[in-house]
Amino acid sequence: MFLHSTNGVARWFVLAGLLAAFPLVAAGQWKAKDTEWPIYAADLAGTRYRPLAQINAGNFNDLEIAWRIKTDNFGNRPEYKLEGTPLMVNGVVYATAGSRRALIALDAATGELLWIHGEHEGARGGAAPRQLSGRGLAYWSDGREERILYVTPGYQLICLDAKTGMRVQGFGNKGAVDLKLNDDQEILPDLTTGEIGIQSAPVVAKDTVIVGASFREGMTPKSMRNNKGYVRGFDVRTGKRLWIFHTIPKKGEFGYDTWLNGSAEYTGNTGVWTQVTVDEELGLVYLPVESPTNDFYGGHRPGNNLFGESLVCVDLKTGQRRWHYQLVHHPLWDMDISAAPILADINVDGKVVKAVAQPSKQGFLYVFDRVTGKPVWPMEEKQVETGTVPGEWYSRTQPIPSKPPAYSRNGVRESDLIDFTPELLERGKAIASKYKLGPVFTPPSESKLDGTLGTLTVGTASGGTNWPGGSYDPETHIVYAFACNACVEPIGLVRAPKEVSDMNYIAGTAGEEVKILRGPGENAGADSPMPPKKRAGSGYVALNVDGLPLLKPPYGTITAINLDKGEIVWQVAHGETPDVVRNYPALKGINIPRTGQETYNIGTLVTKTLVIAGDGQITTTAEHPRGAMLRAYDKKTGKEVGAVYMPAAQSGSPMTYMAHGKQYIVVAVSGGAYSGEYIAYSLPAAE
Amino acid sequence: MPRRYGIACATCFVAALITILYGAGLARSTGRMAQEAPATTRSVWDGVYTEEQAKRGEETYRKECASCHGDTLVGGGGAAALTGGTFLSNWNGLTVGDLFERIRKTMPQGGLGKLTKQQDADVLAYLLSFNKFPTGKTELQKRVEFLKEIRFEATKPEAK
Repeated sequence: MFLHSTNGVARWFVLAGLLAAFPLVAAGQWKAKDTEWPIYAADLAGTRYRPLAQINAGNFNDLEIAWRIKTDNFGNRPEYKLEGTPLMVNGVVYATAGSRRALIALDAATGELLWIHGEHEGARGGAAPRQLSGRGLAYWSDGREERILYVTPGYQLICLDAKTGMRVQGFGNKGAVDLKLNDDQEILPDLTTGEIGIQSAPVVAKDTVIVGASFREGMTPKSMRNNKGYVRGFDVRTGKRLWIFHTIPKKGEFGYDTWLNGSAEYTGNTGVWTQVTVDEELGLVYLPVESPTNDFYGGHRPGNNLFGESLVCVDLKTGQRRWHYQLVHHPLWDMDISAAPILADINVDGKVVKAVAQPSKQGFLYVFDRVTGKPVWPMEEKQVETGTVPGEWYSRTQPIPSKPPAYSRNGVRESDLIDFTPELLERGKAIASKYKLGPVFTPPSESKLDGTLGTLTVGTASGGTNWPGGSYDPETHIVYAFACNACVEPIGLVRAPKEVSDMNYIAGTAGEEVKILRGPGENAGADSPMPPKKRAGSGYVALNVDGLPLLKPPYGTITAINLDKGEIVWQVAHGETPDVVRNYPALKGINIPRTGQETYNIGTLVTKTLVIAGDGQITTTAEHPRGAMLRAYDKKTGKEVGAVYMPAAQSGSPMTYMAHGKQYIVVAVSGGAYSGEYIAYSLPAAE
Repeated sequence: MPRRYGIACATCFVAALITILYGAGLARSTGRMAQEAPATTRSVWDGVYTEEQAKRGEETYRKECASCHGDTLVGGGGAAALTGGTFLSNWNGLTVGDLFERIRKTMPQGGLGKLTKQQDADVLAYLLSFNKFPTGKTELQKRVEFLKEIRFEATKPEAK
């Protein structure tokens, strides 16, 4: 049933796979080596750090492609949004790939395909809110057995034998746990179409697999009622559920009273869709929680809404809450905690602190004592503006870290607008004049043709730092984080017609047809579309000037933050200046320093000496043909020390490992006309 | 019961083999082709679609595309933006035909193959119109070999 043993070619493949894998370590407690990359973020602390030094400032420019693998055939159509970070253990690279979200195992030195596994989920996969290849997978071993765990688009936790790619029959139901079941709620309307899924990688800590949940984009939900995004722990040997944490408390549980008028009963979302971090020694799990329904209007969920946009620490064995800190009270800006928390043992004023540092969309790095949950530096509740949207409930204060300073732009003022020339500034001002401007936490506003179209924000939906998160160097106690510094998001609210949504307000632009924004592929074909409305009187304005970003550079940055001091050490613009800026006729002759790029999905990698990250956009310059560059910075100074060509933009965060004495860097690239590809770089064998 | 393809199935082995071959050779040549400047004289700044066509395209866009890519083409979540910096950088230097092929191969995600070539050409006209490329007197053709003759240039040439 599982292996067509009559197929001689397939047998050869199994054999090749087994031979390629290194012999396993002796049975007993398995321990990862720091020359491997056994966990999505390198380790359970979320550091994306490996102390490897073969590739360094002196030779980075010499890197060449060791192997590459296109993901087009791992699914029924090519994928152009490959976001995975592979793992490497025992000489085998494991990755999620293609529109099937297939699992592939490759020889780490050559890229040779060892096995492939895919789940055909039919209508359930087609209706999934988070499709395509996802961000990654988890590896587990007890020193004898090796297992791979991942979650399908249709929300099944699959357990595979790492040697063969076949399901482990003793786990759950023949290798699968249906995550839509046994979730302390009924996933509505049914198991096939019920909206819940996840695109991030599960993590395994001390034999417990931890899985969160994700939903479709939350700006324009059909209803204030939705499924809830609880977090669960499962036994890695049996698939048995060990615990659950209710991210929206049930009646009688702590935090239920932060949902006024019983709104905890019907409000949904509030999942943990990004990477979870674990301190195995302390036995603590750090859960970054997203926004409740809906992203920008909270009139149907009065109150602070715990644990929406909170960092929650739970017990690894029981899932019981140990502490929490809500970063945004009564969330209204889509400031999901979108990145993995980073564990860091630091020295503050002569004292050792076991800390957790949380990068964010809003450009604050929130730092807490990870045992107690107390902020390492004062976190003042500051008064913020309350808005005027009918029916909305506002928190009068929000916590603002006193240290470190914000590392990316998190509000839009006139002084942030494009100002290369007086004429461009005027045009920028004309666009901005249609919006309400202000600092971080300026509230969303109604979109009106005879007023403003909404609030113009930055550091909200896209961030700032989004899902790729930051990196951390445990030797120097420095966090490195990429952030978009110009990803503007207009937050306008429009009254929702009853046939569109039962919410009072959803996101929209005055004069535009009010529509439900779906996740890609989410049953879009089967939908009966609403009749198109005329665009006459539409308030829409493009948020760029002839394609130039509306805000001034830097458009994207990498920042180094010293966690002992809570200070920024250096900051550089990351990414080549976009072609539209370099080639803009009116800017010819004006010296514009590198601007970086307005992308939000860039992850960094830290090694012994370098910070490494690729460009998020395509450029064509005198230095390189049409493509993007994978860049290396001196981690002490931020100075660029090398760059190597990629045929497309970085779309998944880079990782590194050693195989047969050679260091490799693997990065996912895709976008536009270029379908997904993993590319492995290493140094040439001969000078 | 979900089907599996592992080392088990023969079709998958073929798919795997294709992938290896593709990874080894074809990918490189595709990459090279994408970098070559197409030998064409027309660009999106030369009025390559009509207003009427863009209007038809807008109707199709609103029915088939807007639910993911949004009314204002800014995308969201998994759906790419079809306007703004990343969109322009993705296609700048390629051709309208490359964008057409991408749409043909993958869209609409929930109903691949649902739209005719004419509808896709019309949607393409709407994308060009939304991104402020000028209209002209002839429609965009639905044949990719002609569309590949039209360069996608993000920046307006000075003389025009």
